[in-house]
Amino acid sequence: MAEPVGIVLVSHSAGLATGLKEMLLQLGGDAAAVATAGGTDDGRIGTSYQRILDAIAAVDRGAGVLLLTDLGSAVLTARAVLADHPRDDVQLVDAPFVEGAVAAAVIAATGADLASVRAAAEEARDVRKL
Amino acid sequence: MSESSEELTIHETIVLLPAHLHARPAGALVQAAARFKSTVEVVYGDRTANARGVLAVMSLGALAGTYVLLRATGPDAEQAVTTLAEVLTNAQ
Repeated sequence: MAEPVGIVLVSHSAGLATGLKEMLLQLGGDAAAVATAGGTDDGRIGTSYQRILDAIAAVDRGAGVLLLTDLGSAVLTARAVLADHPRDDVQLVDAPFVEGAVAAAVIAATGADLASVRAAAEEARDVRKL
Repeated sequence: MSESSEELTIHETIVLLPAHLHARPAGALVQAAARFKSTVEVVYGDRTANARGVLAVMSLGALAGTYVLLRATGPDAEQAVTTLAEVLTNAQ
């Protein structure tokens, strides 16, 4: 099977990002294809340009990388990274953090391409919990 | 039978769920469904979810001890339904 699309979880909280990653692995996500960028460089609540850049590099295996963010400055910092390192196959998606990551990781583990993984994350906005 | 009519094969089966169709079984179902060309739907009561959508499958809220209908449409519909029924039957 082709290398999976990489998924980067960008959160203000390292604990939130790693906790979400643990959940994705339980649902069939590929450990090597999911990276986290949580917290600031010195471990506080916030977002880190460098951590996002490193996370992208960690899961970039040729099939593209999809970034999911929690909110606020996570979006701004992720956008800044992508603006400085523009690539068609590294994309930020507008999706709910938990649901979008679950949908994306499960479909990415099946070998789906970047467009399909992105679509799965975006669809998460329309799936009701109840 | 011509090639085109073969692709319209529909196959269905009913599965008694041994466990709630929550996150882990739904994840396993999506992984299994991706191996087939056919489109597979999971029907629970009056709701239907595509078996490739893990959130949609979870949101069915299908409970242990109830039945879901698996419906596959496509060239490998029968194999898809058989395999996915096994995934659900073995879910924990």
